[in-house]
Amino acid sequence: MAPVIRHSTGVGFCTPGAQAETAEQPTAASGKHSSETRRITLTVNGRQHDLQVAPNAVLLDVLREQLNLFGTKKGCDHGQCGACTVHVNGRSVNSCLMLACMQEGAEIVTIEGLAESAGFELGHHPVQDAFLAHDAYQCGYCTAGQMMTAAAIINDDSIDGDEVSLREAMSGNICRCGAYKNILDAVQSARGQMRGGE
Amino acid sequence: MTTDTGKTREYNLSAEKPRIDGTLKLTGGADYAADRNLPNQTYGYPVTSTITSGKLVSLELDEALAMPGVLDIFHHDNFDQLSRSPNSFADENLTSEPRLPFEDNEIHYQGQYIALVVADTLNHARAAAMKVKANYERSDEFLTDIKALDRGEGELPGEEQPGDASSIGDADSAFESASVKLDHRYSIAQENHSVMEMHASVAQWENDMLTIYESSQGVVFQRNALSKIFGIPPEKVTVISHFIGSGFGSKLFMWPHAIMTAVAARRLGRPVKTVLSRTQEYLATGYRPTSLQRVRLGADDSGKLLSIHHDGCNESSPAGKHDDTVSGATPKMYDCGGNAAVTNRLVTVNKCPPCPMRAPGEASGNFALETAMDELAVKLEMDPLALRKKNFAAADPTSDLPWSSNHLKECWDDAASRFGWDKRNPTPGAMQDGDEIIGYGMATQSWEAMRQHCSARFGFRADGSLLVACGTQDIGTGTYTIVAQTASELTGIPIEMVDVRLGDSQLPSGPLSGGSMATSTVLPAVSAAFDEALSQLKSLATAEGGVFENADPDTIEIQSGKLVQGDRSVEITQLLADNQLGLIDGEASAQPGDEQNQYSFRSFGAVFVEVRWDPGISRLRVARVVSTIDIGRAINPMTARNQVEGGIVMGIGMGMFEQAEFDQNGYPYNNNLADYILPVNADMPKVEVDLLDYPDYRHNAFGARGVGEIGLTGVAAAISNAVYNATGKRIRDMPISIEKLLSA
Repeated sequence: MAPVIRHSTGVGFCTPGAQAETAEQPTAASGKHSSETRRITLTVNGRQHDLQVAPNAVLLDVLREQLNLFGTKKGCDHGQCGACTVHVNGRSVNSCLMLACMQEGAEIVTIEGLAESAGFELGHHPVQDAFLAHDAYQCGYCTAGQMMTAAAIINDDSIDGDEVSLREAMSGNICRCGAYKNILDAVQSARGQMRGGE
Repeated sequence: MTTDTGKTREYNLSAEKPRIDGTLKLTGGADYAADRNLPNQTYGYPVTSTITSGKLVSLELDEALAMPGVLDIFHHDNFDQLSRSPNSFADENLTSEPRLPFEDNEIHYQGQYIALVVADTLNHARAAAMKVKANYERSDEFLTDIKALDRGEGELPGEEQPGDASSIGDADSAFESASVKLDHRYSIAQENHSVMEMHASVAQWENDMLTIYESSQGVVFQRNALSKIFGIPPEKVTVISHFIGSGFGSKLFMWPHAIMTAVAARRLGRPVKTVLSRTQEYLATGYRPTSLQRVRLGADDSGKLLSIHHDGCNESSPAGKHDDTVSGATPKMYDCGGNAAVTNRLVTVNKCPPCPMRAPGEASGNFALETAMDELAVKLEMDPLALRKKNFAAADPTSDLPWSSNHLKECWDDAASRFGWDKRNPTPGAMQDGDEIIGYGMATQSWEAMRQHCSARFGFRADGSLLVACGTQDIGTGTYTIVAQTASELTGIPIEMVDVRLGDSQLPSGPLSGGSMATSTVLPAVSAAFDEALSQLKSLATAEGGVFENADPDTIEIQSGKLVQGDRSVEITQLLADNQLGLIDGEASAQPGDEQNQYSFRSFGAVFVEVRWDPGISRLRVARVVSTIDIGRAINPMTARNQVEGGIVMGIGMGMFEQAEFDQNGYPYNNNLADYILPVNADMPKVEVDLLDYPDYRHNAFGARGVGEIGLTGVAAAISNAVYNATGKRIRDMPISIEKLLSA
C-alpha cells in the first residue's frame, strides 16, 4: 500500500538508502561566485543529492536548472499558478516560493517520482491514470502541478470529497486551457480508487 | 512529391482515444522549450522599459557588468546588424513585432526590451538585470485607453481601414426605413492570453547553423523569419517546439526575445536560454486588443432583420500594426434582408503590439452582435431564440454561396432542449431560487472553417512501426493523437505503433497551430503521404521477383499491416526485410481546391447560459452552460469536446473577469496571475457540451472543420443576456464586474 501523502500536515517519507554523490554545481561556474553558494543535501524522488546552491535560488530553479528535473514547471514565480507544486516532507508546496538553501535534509517528490514514491509503477499513480483516462489536460504544462496537488488533497482527511470542496482545493492550480471539468472528474475518480468506498 | 487536393475519397474516422503524448505529459517527460540545459549553456534575462513613451537616452551598465557571473549585456550599441523580416503572411515569415530588438532609441511601450543580460546562471542573470540603470527622456503624451477618445455616439474613433469595409445591398436606406431600430455601443477590455508556459527561447549556434528551441505555434514561420533576419538560408535554421504550454495566438508569430537570444548565443559562442518572467509575458507578448463597437440593427415588426451595421475599432501599436477585424464575420451570421455594412478602425496605443487571441476578431464581434440581437428581441417582445431562427441564413449572405454543411438549426434546438429554455420567463428578475435571482441567456456561436496547404511524410519501418512527420505543432489540441489515429486507420496498424513527429521546422512544411485549421489542413496531407508510401510498397511487391510480381497495383490493398492481393498477402515488415530496407516513406502535400469557390465554409453552434445573482451579497455566478456545436466531424470527440469546454472557460473569463488595467503612467499594474483575474476550478459552472456529427466532406476528405475557437464565441454575449434576464441591467462592456453591475 502506498505511503500516505498529506496536503496539510508534515508527515515525511521513509528515506531510501541512496548514496551521496559528488556535489552538483550550478552549470557553467564562472569562478566569481563560488563563495556565495551554500552546500545542502536534498533527497529528491528517493535519491540523495549534495548540492551547491545560491542563497537566493528557489527550489523550483534548483530542481530544473541544477537537477534537470524539468517535469516541475514555472508558470509565474510568484506562487500564483500552482504549476511548480511539489511535495516537500509530505506537504504540497509551491516550489517557486521556497528557498532551496532552507530545505537541508528535505524529502522532495516531483512528478517524475510521484508514482514510485507512493509505491506504484512508474507513471501509474492513480492520479496519473485518471488524468489520462479523463483527458484532464490539454497543453500539459500545468498538469504536473495539478496532479501533485490532487495526490496531496486526496490523502488529506480535512478535504471532503464533494464537488465544491474538491474544486476549491484544486483552485490554487490554474489551467488556462480550461480543462477544469475533466480535472475534477479525474480527481474524483482517483479519489474513489485511492480511498475506496469510504 | 505528389499533391492532393483532397476530394478523391471520404474517410470515416472518429474515435475517442486517450492522447498518445499523454504519458509524456503525465510523467514530466514532455520537453517544452525551456526544459533543457545544453552543454555550456548560459542564461539571458531581459531588461525592459519602465516608461510608456519617450526615448532611451543612455544605459548605465558598469554595476551590472561587475555582478557575479555576468558574461555580457546586449543593447543598442552592442548588438549585431540584422534586417527586419519582410513580415509577409503569404510568405510565412510574419512576426508579431516587426521592429528588431534595440533597433533605435524610441520607447513605444512599458516592457519594451532595452537590453539583455547574459550570465552563467539564471540567478546571476536576473540579479544583474536589476542593476541595469536606464536614463530616459520621458514623454507625457501617450495613450493606453481607447475609450478616452470615444465620444459615445456617432462614429467610432480611430483611422478607418479601407480593406475592412464591406457592404452588401443598401444598409443605410434599409436601416432608415426600418420600423424597429437599435443603435448601441459595446466594448471588450484588453485580455491577456495568460499562457501557462511563458515564452522561452534556447538558442545554439553550431558553425553557421542556428537551432532554437521555442514555445511556438508556428515553427515554419519562425524559421523563415529568422532566416530573413539573420540573412542565412532557411535550411540553416531549425526551430523546435515539441510541446507548447498553450499559445492561444500569442505564440503564432515570433517575438523579439527570440532574436536577441539568438544574437547573444552567436556572440558568446555558447547556448543561451531566455525565459520571460510572468510580468514580461504580460507586457511584451501580445493580447486581445480592447475593442469598441457600434451595432445598428433594423427590423420589421415581425422580427425580420432588414439591415445590419457593425462598426469596430481596436487598439494597435506603434511597434506593430494589428487589425482584429471584429466586424468581419457579422454579415455571414444572419439573413439580414441583403443589407449589411461593416467597418473597422484602428487606434494606436502605447502598448506592445496586439496579436490574435483565440477566436480573434470574431469572439469580440460576436459579443456585440449577439447582445444586440438579444436587445432587439426585448424590443420586439420576442423570444431571443425565435428571433434568431426567423433570421437563419440558408446561404452565405455575403456571397450567396451555399454553406458546405450547416446544422445550426439543430444546434439551437438541441441545446435549447437540453438547457430547458422553454422554462425561461422573459421578465427580468422573475425567476428566483431562494436568495438567488436566475437569468437565462443564449447566443449563436460561429467560426470560419479554414484550410491551408500542408506537406507531410509517411513511413513504414522495418520493425513494423509507422513514422508520420509534419512541421506543424500540437499546442494541446491533440494533433499528435489525431495524426496517429489517421495513420492507424489508413494502415490497420495499432495506434501504439505510430510514431508522430511534429514541432520541428526540418520536417515537411506544416501549418500554424491556429485558426482551428490544423486538423483540416494536416490530415489530408497525411493521407496523401500515405498514398505515396503505399505506392512505393506496391512497386516493391510487384517488381520483378516481388511477391506479387507483375500484379496490377490497383488490385493490392493494405489490411492490418499487410499487403493483400486476392487470397495472397505479405507482411509489410517482410517486404522491407526482403528488400533490406529500414524504411519506406513518401512525402506529399495537400491543399484546398475548387470547392473554395463553390461553398462557404463555417461552423456554427448555440450556447445557453444560466446565471445566478444574489443581491444580498452582490454575488454573480455562471451556474450552467449548455452548448451544441456543429464542427463537421470530430476525429477524436474526447479531445474535441475538451477544446470546446476550454473555450467556454475562456468565454467566462471574457464575460466576467478578464481585463488588463493601466495606471496614470501607462503601467499595466495587474500584470500577474493573481491580479489579472481569470477562471479557476472553483469558478466553474456545470458545463454540458454536445458535438453534432455531420462530416463535412466538401471541406476535406475527413469531414473535419476544426474546433479550437468556436467554443469561446457566444459565451460572453450569452452571459450578458442572462444577466439582463436576471437583473434588467444591460451591460454592454465586458467584463461584467460586480462594480459595473452595481453601478448600472
